[in-house]
Amino acid sequence: MPQRRWLHLHNTWQDVQVRKLCELQLQPSILQEISEEHNLEPQPPLPKYIHPSDELILEDELQRIKLEGAIEVQQLVTGTILAVYGCEQDDGKFLVEDHCFANLPPSLPWKGPSADRFVLLVSGLGLGSGSGESLLGTQLLVDVVTGQLGAEGGQSCAANISRVLLAGNLLSQNTQSRDTINKAKYLTKKTQAASVEAVKMLDEILLQLCTSVPVDVMPGEFDPTNYTLPQQPLHRCMLPLASAYATLHLVTNPYQADIDGVRFLGTSGQNISDIFKYSSMDDYLEILEWTLRAGHISPTAPDTLGCYPFYKSDPFILTTCPHVYFCGNAPRFQSKLLQGDEGQRVLLVTVPAFSATQTACLVNLRDLSCQPISFSGFGAEDDDGDMEVGH
Amino acid sequence: MEDELYLENIDEFVTDQNRIVTYKWLSYTLGVHVNQAKQMLYDYVERKRKENSGAQLHVTYLVAGSLVQNGHTCHKVAVVREDKLEAMKSKLATIASVHVYSVQKALLKDSAPLYNTDYDIVKTNLHNCSKFSAIQCAAAVPRAPAEVPQAQRASAQAGSRAPSDAGAGSAPVVNGHAPSAAKQTSQQPKGIMEMFAAKAASKGHDANKETKTESKEAPGVSAASSKPPAKSSIMNNFFGKAAMNKLKVNSVPEKPKEEKEVVKPSVPVAEPESSSNVVVEKPGKKTESVKSQQKDKKSKMKRVDKSDNEEEREPENLKKKRKRIKQLESDSSDEEDIPPSPTPEEEKAPSPPPVPALKAELEPVPTEVSAGGRKRKRKRVLKSKMFIDEEEGCMVTEKVYESESCTDSGDDFTESKPPPPQKQPVLPAKKEPKEEKKNVKKGPAAGSRANKQVSIMGFFQKK
Repeated sequence: MPQRRWLHLHNTWQDVQVRKLCELQLQPSILQEISEEHNLEPQPPLPKYIHPSDELILEDELQRIKLEGAIEVQQLVTGTILAVYGCEQDDGKFLVEDHCFANLPPSLPWKGPSADRFVLLVSGLGLGSGSGESLLGTQLLVDVVTGQLGAEGGQSCAANISRVLLAGNLLSQNTQSRDTINKAKYLTKKTQAASVEAVKMLDEILLQLCTSVPVDVMPGEFDPTNYTLPQQPLHRCMLPLASAYATLHLVTNPYQADIDGVRFLGTSGQNISDIFKYSSMDDYLEILEWTLRAGHISPTAPDTLGCYPFYKSDPFILTTCPHVYFCGNAPRFQSKLLQGDEGQRVLLVTVPAFSATQTACLVNLRDLSCQPISFSGFGAEDDDGDMEVGH
Repeated sequence: MEDELYLENIDEFVTDQNRIVTYKWLSYTLGVHVNQAKQMLYDYVERKRKENSGAQLHVTYLVAGSLVQNGHTCHKVAVVREDKLEAMKSKLATIASVHVYSVQKALLKDSAPLYNTDYDIVKTNLHNCSKFSAIQCAAAVPRAPAEVPQAQRASAQAGSRAPSDAGAGSAPVVNGHAPSAAKQTSQQPKGIMEMFAAKAASKGHDANKETKTESKEAPGVSAASSKPPAKSSIMNNFFGKAAMNKLKVNSVPEKPKEEKEVVKPSVPVAEPESSSNVVVEKPGKKTESVKSQQKDKKSKMKRVDKSDNEEEREPENLKKKRKRIKQLESDSSDEEDIPPSPTPEEEKAPSPPPVPALKAELEPVPTEVSAGGRKRKRKRVLKSKMFIDEEEGCMVTEKVYESESCTDSGDDFTESKPPPPQKQPVLPAKKEPKEEKKNVKKGPAAGSRANKQVSIMGFFQKK
């Protein structure tokens, strides 16, 4: 669609495609945070930063205009690119009659396998959390994948797992505490960061996995790598045992790969959770689908999500439609096979955080189906609560 | 016969040592395949229960299966206590596997001790954690450290995983338990398959991939056999472009093609020949797990050898370099650790070949040298040589007669291995041509190599 400057539109019905901006009342502002002289309390972190008085502003390189009309303010986030159909009113606002997104980009040719091949998607291992609840689950996961658990039927099925993808948050949020900064030096002399022990544990787990299956490791929000998107791969010196194996692949976040002819694209979840915070959409799967339709992995970057200041081209724009589009660290497992207008077929998967749900996802590459697989041990209570763990 | 031994071992672990014996722990401790370990535990429990000896045994089981929840199938893998086993089995729509997870004397309140046992044993065996597992991955070979940064550049390599089935003849265990393993494992499928085959048959579920793969096992093999020839050409293409740049955010051109088949021992010979192209630096993939393990060992040995050779070569080079420097600086570098003893060996090794060549030059050389105005006399000098005796780990000082040139350019050859004196005449004779050669080569350079014993003024006289 050709982009037109709406400068020139007066009382006409035109298609316009420009960037959009939302003004949010509750958006955390750094200026407010540091205004200590006003004795303002720092804003508490809210789960959602939406407010009824939020406004939508359409913006291009030259100017901006407020939008109203048949458009849902709470649904959209800053940075969305869309087309609006309407006319400019006398008071300077644009009355929207209809709007649409870029919709699904063209799909890649299908080169998937003809036999059953599986990719195991796991995220949020959360090592170093200090609580050992998920450790048995993690060990069971490794044992299933490496073919130690299960009878022969299960083992030969596990042998069809051609890749394990760890989508972020390998370390727990607890490793991020920086108490040592607040404490006196003499108290913290011999202490080491919690992430050191956690990374050692990660190394051992990865070693067990790598001896048996190729593993792709994506960093996440709490992992020792840079904060801004795109996050760089974890450095191999942190994983001395596992990085000796060629089957270990340390990859970026977001990550795109062709696994057995199937195009995977996904993130560790920061983009989706950021959109979750700034829009009224509650369902991670819905948000995931929305980003696909909007044609951009992370529209809120760099506004509310840290991102490298790309200025020549935006690598997060979706130019082709992947076959599997996933996000990690979701609150629960969801999956959906989306059919596009031009025959695209995308499997959307929200991978739940393993530390909370003990659930991983098995994607069958042959028919793009996905099933959760959950692990459990037994506890002192040992009631039916175990069964509800993964759903 | 050997079965009895194992059972006794397990008995000892459980009752006498009061351990929690998990299948993994048993597998590592006894050095057996995991499936065999599970079968052994099962046998043990059966026997003990039959004997009714009164010793309380608590068993935990692993149950894996699928159930339909919220409209889609979920797989569950759970470790349950014996008393909850039936309850769990009834909850699952299809049961993929049930086997003994652990045996212990005490009743476990929760599964944390199980985890601890496994964690400890895995930690002590980190480097061969896949040795006894049912799935082998031919691509998972540890790289020598030097190759690691290079490998970072290359794109993902194709791996191939073949489940080393414990059933029907293929002997997964390398350490000599092969015959008994085959026997055990042929019993084991009967035992365990009985448990779930009945259930799976009755509660067949189309969407369940476990049953699918089981039923597909037989026809799957013939399909698999036709696959490898087709895929070998793809593999070749892949490795033609093996050295590509690594990931960017946008485009990660990964093209791993992995072959997996459900293993039967009759898996075709086509496998090895297709797999010979598979991995650039790794050995061909074998589906027979014995072979794969042996190959892995070989490859590991290959790697070890390679690295060993590298290591050996390096000190040699260093020694050679140091030797040259040492000659230039003569006694000043006496404190160096380099045992002079190996170096004369090296020297001798190259020396015989050049010796015949040199001999022809010998005649003219000395005359040239002497005519050159530099008066060089050969003198036998009693010198005390210090070197490190590797066998005894001490420094040895010996007084040795060395022939050396009395001018500054005398080559202080480190001939002082402790050779018996009768060897001395041989050595000097051999040395002479070498020395001459070295003298010729290093005449001017050696000038500055002050032979302290002679006179430091010799240095200035040279100039």
